Amino acid sequence: MARAFRATTRGYRADMESHERRLLSHLCADVITMLEARGEALNDDAASPEDSFAHFRRELAGLGADLDTSDEVPGVEPPEDAALARLLPDASKDPEEAAQFRRLSEASLRESKIADLRAARMALESEPVTLTEEQAPVFGRALNDVRLTLAARLSIDDETDAERVHNMAGRGKAATTDEFMAELYAFTTWLQETLFSAMLDVMPEDE
Amino acid sequence: MSSAAGSTLTEEGTDLDLQGRVLNSRPYKVVVWNDPVNLMSYVAWVFRSYFGHSREKAHQLMLQVHHEGRSVVASGPREKAERDVTALHGYGLQATLEESE
Repeated sequence: MARAFRATTRGYRADMESHERRLLSHLCADVITMLEARGEALNDDAASPEDSFAHFRRELAGLGADLDTSDEVPGVEPPEDAALARLLPDASKDPEEAAQFRRLSEASLRESKIADLRAARMALESEPVTLTEEQAPVFGRALNDVRLTLAARLSIDDETDAERVHNMAGRGKAATTDEFMAELYAFTTWLQETLFSAMLDVMPEDE
Repeated sequence: MSSAAGSTLTEEGTDLDLQGRVLNSRPYKVVVWNDPVNLMSYVAWVFRSYFGHSREKAHQLMLQVHHEGRSVVASGPREKAERDVTALHGYGLQATLEESE
């Protein structure tokens, strides 16, 4: 059984069983796969910067005579999958504005999340798991993305749902997929809570 | 972060929506919405480390999100508000832009 994250003289440390580290690493890998699939579906690796340049060249060639050409560039729709939609949320309550914002920023948000999750997988390679002050927020963000994904799969939409999942976990042997996911959710929540409590403790007091 | 490799040109230089930006100089608000997943300690930590809020201010904003469902955590020019929203999405918080009244 794992021991919680705690502050040490050389950053933060958690003792975890090898199967726990492996499991957590797999979860990170699953979220990476999901985010990459979204990128492939939008075909943005090639398209996103190119699109912007195409727009720019059109302007340069005087083809964008009317100044309000931004309206012609279609925005990007939010993901249909609940977990992806939670990881890549709308930046505005106005759907049109959200779609335009997504067009400009979703690819880099996805890339930064993938980079966090990869760094977390690296950290999970060693026992104990040790994080420097710089690595701790990165690991924390990745852990949170795993939690958000599990929460979407467990349909946690409000406090009542959270309570239901909380009660589902900790009953011993998980018999169903949902019970297993609830166990994982409880485990990652506990890790996250102990990491950030330790981080808040060592944060310098206000001047 | 690794995404910096693409140089600033692809990040902002090609965003030619300047016309709208310059004319639209009214300040924007950055709103964080409550959700049942993000931990209170985590949200408070993000407010402290990202915005540099004091312990007390961060705690107060976090509680406002929790109890009232939303809180305005920053406001300013559109460019900055956009950066804040993207950063908060990076942390997994539900954040949106809002034009000030």
